[in-house]
Amino acid sequence: MTSKRRRSFELTIPSRIEQMEAVHDLIAEAVKAYKLNNEMAHWIELSISESMINAIQHGNKADPAKQATLRISSSGDAIEIIVEDEGCGFTLDNVADPTDKANLLKPSGRGILIIRSFMDEVDLLPREGGGCRLRMLKRLPGMDGARPK
Amino acid sequence: MSMLVNPRRLDDVVILDLSGRITMGEGTLVLRDRIGKLLAAGHQKFLLNLADVDYIDSSGLGELVSSFTTVRNQGGQLKLLNLTRRVQDLLQITKLLTVFEVFNNEAEALKTMT
Repeated sequence: MTSKRRRSFELTIPSRIEQMEAVHDLIAEAVKAYKLNNEMAHWIELSISESMINAIQHGNKADPAKQATLRISSSGDAIEIIVEDEGCGFTLDNVADPTDKANLLKPSGRGILIIRSFMDEVDLLPREGGGCRLRMLKRLPGMDGARPK
Repeated sequence: MSMLVNPRRLDDVVILDLSGRITMGEGTLVLRDRIGKLLAAGHQKFLLNLADVDYIDSSGLGELVSSFTTVRNQGGQLKLLNLTRRVQDLLQITKLLTVFEVFNNEAEALKTMT
């Protein structure tokens, strides 16, 4: 990445699904500031939303005393998204494959797949002080990679 | 924008014209409630028209799957109509295109709902 860092956006919310409206508002502000096209903005919004819902539900077990934090920043060449929770977390490798025939009719478990299909980099690491830190990166080479892989 | 559901009937098929966002919370609950009530009223054939659904998340996909299995377990049919490219992409990624019958033409879809 170059050093052309632009405005960054940050939000910390209690772990309640009702708070997702504030998340969507922040995403809308960010994609507007970064001048993303509609297609890129859609998949960025979906990936961030899935990761924040994961943090609230699976990381923090929907405990409103625990917080989830979202940071969005851009270098101009890429968008980096950090989502942190305070829970015990999970590893990306032990998420069941939702495309496996045995899992196809399950009502949940598709969020990480959706994120991975769109983002260029996805890493989940322990967060300093407890919890998990999910880092996602989407490169912006002329927006031609705006659809999922 | 939350999701809106407008049902219309053609013979014994209920076509649900959905619009807006099918997301965790209100969007999924609205769909579950509407299909549950129609099933309870004796309807068994459903065609979900997604032409005006511009956003669906993994919970929304999960609700479509739950609706499909609920209807099928009661001997009924649930098929999808007019997917937007984004919804088509999501069903492709998640391999749910192997689960649902999908149509781009309402008349053609109705012909298959015997």
